[in-house]
Amino acid sequence: MTTNDPAADAAGPADGAVIADAEVGWPSGVPPILNQAFDAGTLYALRASVQAHASALGMPDARTDDLVIALHELAANAVRHGAGGGRVRVWKHAGELHCQVEDDGAPARGEALAPDGGAVLDSAGNAADSWPFSLGHGLWLVRLVADEISVFSGPDGTCATVVFALPGADDAPSARAC
Amino acid sequence: MPVSAHSQVTDLALHDHACLTFGEQEELLDLTAAFVRDGLASGSRVVVLSDAPQNGTATLGGRKLAAESAVEAGQIMLAASQDGLVGPSGFSAERAMEWMRGQLADSRRHGFAGIRVALDMSWALQPMTGIEELPTLEEEIAAAVSDAEMSVLCGYDRERFDPVTLALIAPMHSHAVTTATYHDDPVLRICRQYVPPGVRLAGELDFLAREALALALGEAIRIDGDITINMAHLTFIDAASMRMILEAAASLGPSRTVVLHCRPSVEARFAQLGADLLPHVSLVGVDDN
Repeated sequence: MTTNDPAADAAGPADGAVIADAEVGWPSGVPPILNQAFDAGTLYALRASVQAHASALGMPDARTDDLVIALHELAANAVRHGAGGGRVRVWKHAGELHCQVEDDGAPARGEALAPDGGAVLDSAGNAADSWPFSLGHGLWLVRLVADEISVFSGPDGTCATVVFALPGADDAPSARAC
Repeated sequence: MPVSAHSQVTDLALHDHACLTFGEQEELLDLTAAFVRDGLASGSRVVVLSDAPQNGTATLGGRKLAAESAVEAGQIMLAASQDGLVGPSGFSAERAMEWMRGQLADSRRHGFAGIRVALDMSWALQPMTGIEELPTLEEEIAAAVSDAEMSVLCGYDRERFDPVTLALIAPMHSHAVTTATYHDDPVLRICRQYVPPGVRLAGELDFLAREALALALGEAIRIDGDITINMAHLTFIDAASMRMILEAAASLGPSRTVVLHCRPSVEARFAQLGADLLPHVSLVGVDDN
């Protein structure tokens, strides 16, 4: 689970996912240590998986919490403003975790993320709220806690990548998943 | 008296005999504290029977009740169940009722307007002789409160008492009391906190529960006074939920304060969102355990 050796986890990705990874994933052909689909009903399970992986890699509790909320917020954004679901892939590379959150397709309503990673505020939609409620704080929080963030939004949906350094890592050169 | 569907603990008055069912110890303590607070406010004497009376004043004090001074003044008595309802040779309904009548007489002698008795019924889970007389005790309490200035709250753990016993006992009470709960599943519980008033959040909270959170916050806001959001057992909160809590806090006037009780990880997250900069919001850390 904690290796990025392709041979060690060859059965990891679901059928067909390897081809997709070769096209959009990074590093090409290397299986992610976590590859998990999500939708509204499985955000809890996603958070539990991310936490388990980060803890197993020796990430301090506070940074693990940061990683969990960053991936939750990106996934939640895909659920609420994107296609309603997507996939998280996490690679371990050069002392860093590279985490890619991709939604399942074109946003159902509006753009999920502006290309510069800026928040797109969709303030519509909470009939139960009795006070003004605006979105965008989640993505602001992601930018605050992640070491790096990059976002690509295209006709097929949105893909965000966040990078978190692992403990004891050198300042390794980073790469982008999208 | 017929059992009303579900009553709030704050609705209880003299002559009521209430069956409180709870799922967590925290609920029992909270509802008992509300029962005590309202009793003190109405000038009644309050007797609390539990397995751990030595922790009572600290528990009530932690909820901003002046328990210590009320104990000194004789208005509160905290006692162990085995010193009240249960005798050294086991349980008997007759002996327990004798103790209850003694408490009522004491209260009258000291000139109190009435007496409230809170009974943590956990003692009845222990194997002991005479326990088959428990329904008799409940029947006799029901008869006693109807013509005395007395109110009794019987706390039953719904996870530990068997359903048959609960089904038998519950109708002997005039009121069924539970915590107002807005969301309850294995991941998240959102319920009202009675003392100090506010909302209690436990588990993991995200935007999926926004309607329940909005309802809980809305009800807390409608009650006058300061609000406490108890997040001592909340392990995750997302940005949307934090935002909703802070928007609710901001909608209150500056004369009302909002206290956020949270674990260090959640406290740090609220601070990142600037909660500590709001003048009438205070962040209070609690231990992880």
